[in-house]
Amino acid sequence: MKPRPLTVVLIVPTGVGASIGGFAGDALPVARAIAQISDTLITHPNVLNGAQLYWPIPNALYVEGYALDKFAAGCWGLQPVHQNRIGLIMDCAIEPELQLRHLQAVDASRATLGLNITDCILTDRPLQVELRTSESGASWGTIGNPDSLLRAAEKLITQAKVQAIAVVARFPDDVGSLALENYRHGKGVDPLAGAEAVISHLIVRTFKIPCAHAPALSALPLDPHLSPRSAAEEIGYTFLPCVLAGLSKAPQFTTQKAQEDSQLSITADRVDAVVIPATACGGSAILSLSGRSSVQIIAVGDNKTQMQVPPEKLGIKALQVNSYLEAIGVLVALRSGITPASLGADISSLRCLSDSTKQI
Amino acid sequence: MDRQMTTHFISAEVDLRDTAEELHSAIEIELQKHGEPLRWAVTDVDVDRQKALVEGYVLVEASPVTA
Repeated sequence: MKPRPLTVVLIVPTGVGASIGGFAGDALPVARAIAQISDTLITHPNVLNGAQLYWPIPNALYVEGYALDKFAAGCWGLQPVHQNRIGLIMDCAIEPELQLRHLQAVDASRATLGLNITDCILTDRPLQVELRTSESGASWGTIGNPDSLLRAAEKLITQAKVQAIAVVARFPDDVGSLALENYRHGKGVDPLAGAEAVISHLIVRTFKIPCAHAPALSALPLDPHLSPRSAAEEIGYTFLPCVLAGLSKAPQFTTQKAQEDSQLSITADRVDAVVIPATACGGSAILSLSGRSSVQIIAVGDNKTQMQVPPEKLGIKALQVNSYLEAIGVLVALRSGITPASLGADISSLRCLSDSTKQI
Repeated sequence: MDRQMTTHFISAEVDLRDTAEELHSAIEIELQKHGEPLRWAVTDVDVDRQKALVEGYVLVEASPVTA
């Protein structure tokens, strides 16, 4: 009999200042390591995208955040694919030279990686992205013309029959701001991340197909003190290659009826464990998955965030560990059928239920 | 797709519930008063007042103006 495959969800929420994964693809080593001991790793663009850099992980599913929430809630399944046909939306506010840089990044991805990127479209109005920071310290943003974004997506889907959509929106350059300076030095919150999530969530929610976003920005002046965690975004003209690579094999989303028809579709009842920063347990996906008794939630202490929501404050049962190295040890134990607590020095006494003590 | 849409940031307080699943439902219901929830998270918990502090953004679709 085949053993149950180990399915792990790795979440590093975007735009909340995660000390690991809050910058430019800097949770990718964690994803690579966890994928080694999982049969299936389900994670999201914020973890896997490193601008020009990415790493193809054969057993990882690249799932946009809105879809991940729907998956965790049991509404959508994930259907693995061999390859998606990708369409590109570009914000018409992007300057012609910067547009050309992005189109050349697409051509490079087609020529060197063999990706199936077939069509591109300019939005009919500027998307007008504005950046904001919330009271909690999380970044977010507004899109001035969300309907223009959705019109472009609809054309790609109906006319070009694309199966996944990459979006490049012109973001404010914000040069000289304290938030950008901190980000480049490996501190603070990614000021762009929250607005990026709004863009991809809009498309995924409306059309139920994979989508990811790359911001278009002017090149920054050279900074000799750039943090290694942020450096992936300063080695080229665009952040698009990782998005295209991720979307190329991103799973399609299935609804309840289609899930019943397809044995390939992965649903929330397949999840064995979720790995999350310990202070960021208040997201939709964690709240949904915590209701499943078969899911082990692993809360990682040294991935600090701006959030103040450890699992115990919400009554979520979680195994708290200090580091991702320790989390990986827990996953190895789970896979082996070993209770993680039995690997420690102290093993607690057996608990006796109250109505049975008289008989013992 | 000739709709007028806007995205709005919402912060709200929601009473803590017995289970995380019940809290999830309560948050969605609270945000739906303002539009369709796109993304949200509990950002802090006031244990004394038994409140979850929630931040999120919603999509609001205005009805098309007809002549």
